[in-house]
Amino acid sequence: MVGLSIGEKHFIQGGIAQDLRTDGRKRLSYRPISVETGVIAQANGSARVKMGKTEVIASVKAELGRPSSSAPDKGKVSIYIDCSSTAAPQYEGRGGEELSMELSAALRQCLLGGKSGAGAGINLSSLAIVDGKVCWDLYIDGLVINIDGNILDALGAAIKAALSNTGIPKVNVSSTAPSDDQPEVDVSDEEFLQFDTTAVPVIVTLTKVGRHYIVDATSEEESQMSSAVSVSVNRGGMICGLTKRGGAGLDPSVILDMISVGKHVSEQLMNKLDSEIAKAEAAMEEES
Amino acid sequence: MAAKGGAAPATYSPSPTTYKKKRAPIFTDVDWVRPDGRDFHHCRPAFLRTGAVNAASGSAYAEFGNTKVIVSIFGPRESKKALMYSDTGRLNCNVSYTTFATPVRGQASDNKEISSQLHKSLEGAIMLDTFPKTTVDVFALVLESGGCDLPVVISCASLALADAGIMMYDLVAAVSVSCLGKNLVIDPVSEEENYQDGSLTITCLPSRNEVSQLTITGEWSSPKIHEGMELCLDACAKLGKIMRSCLKESASTSQE
Repeated sequence: MVGLSIGEKHFIQGGIAQDLRTDGRKRLSYRPISVETGVIAQANGSARVKMGKTEVIASVKAELGRPSSSAPDKGKVSIYIDCSSTAAPQYEGRGGEELSMELSAALRQCLLGGKSGAGAGINLSSLAIVDGKVCWDLYIDGLVINIDGNILDALGAAIKAALSNTGIPKVNVSSTAPSDDQPEVDVSDEEFLQFDTTAVPVIVTLTKVGRHYIVDATSEEESQMSSAVSVSVNRGGMICGLTKRGGAGLDPSVILDMISVGKHVSEQLMNKLDSEIAKAEAAMEEES
Repeated sequence: MAAKGGAAPATYSPSPTTYKKKRAPIFTDVDWVRPDGRDFHHCRPAFLRTGAVNAASGSAYAEFGNTKVIVSIFGPRESKKALMYSDTGRLNCNVSYTTFATPVRGQASDNKEISSQLHKSLEGAIMLDTFPKTTVDVFALVLESGGCDLPVVISCASLALADAGIMMYDLVAAVSVSCLGKNLVIDPVSEEENYQDGSLTITCLPSRNEVSQLTITGEWSSPKIHEGMELCLDACAKLGKIMRSCLKESASTSQE
């Protein structure tokens, strides 16, 4: 994907070994993050996140639907990621499908928690309207606009920002309908309920290059990786999901070390992201 | 219950409490017994055989409790013309479910996702540079899904690869644990998987003590991850031994 000469490869690897990367960062520092919320008027919530040159958009749409029979007191959330062919020519047509699928699966795993809903970033019970009859279906769509490494972290941040920007319309259920019929619901277009995003975790990807690991790797650095571990951590410091990429095996003790480093880095990222989201929300209110 | 039902005017209305009852509270209990009577830290007995399919260059059949899986390996054969030149071999993985594998007919989980996870788990163990320009096909068929499908598919696939004579650094063994309340339960059956609060799946190369793939869902604290990993790695090492003896057995019978 990235064409590098032997000299360039050595330069990147050597820099990482000496804790001074090609763009002057340390191993565990992020590129500047900028967040912009409310970028898509059609959606219930949206955000654009830039991490260096990596740029992604996430949108949240809420639609009324029927809850599934296995979980009648819960709403549904689906996450889909699309890799635009404007990002790189190899994503044209079906080319981006594999990456899209991998990213969607990783995000679902990191944000939606276990089968019983433990550790989920989104409280599915809050999406229920009438048990077994009506619920909100939340569609989270991510779009990758520009790729310069670390897409998963950027998408995770964008989804978090988009969710905190999301307003779900208030619903009034008419109580007159008989209970075995589909109840009539009245969706308000003025009152919106803010979505609680305190439980939404952030995702930190640690990329292993040589013997060291780095956060927020650029495309060039990613081309030199042996494996990468993505940890999603919530505010309570609990691990909500973990995925590994890259074929090379890792020693179990290295993985445990990576998890603890990831947890440490996630605190800083969480604070940084929260302040950026607050800033973006304030900027949006000023405009309107 | 009768008194409650009499008070409500409707004959039946789904309320959250009636559904919550389905989730057995005994899971948090210490002396709760697993559906198949195993210990929390006991795996299901593994039955493994190689050479299940004649037409394939290598194949294996695995049976872990109710989970029954068959994997065939085809190739290495020439890569499709449309693919670009590659000086390392390619691995093509596909997992499919029979229509009768699940309790509800044809209701299998996402095959593509499982296929890509199988690919990610195996690619690190195979010496891909020993068959440049060619492709190895790994086709897995889940005959019956009884929980822990992916780990069984992975272990069975690595056995089939060994049977096909594909060069590998080590066999690949995979085990998963479920978190149910406070308990960690190894090698969960479907019933337990449906109620789990979290799961941890490890794929490892037992003799090299390397983790080639690790996925975690649900909410975990660091000590719990540590405990889960220890449990899985120990089980992987034992599973690796069983796989090895299975290969030895088939090699000695074919010589006779």
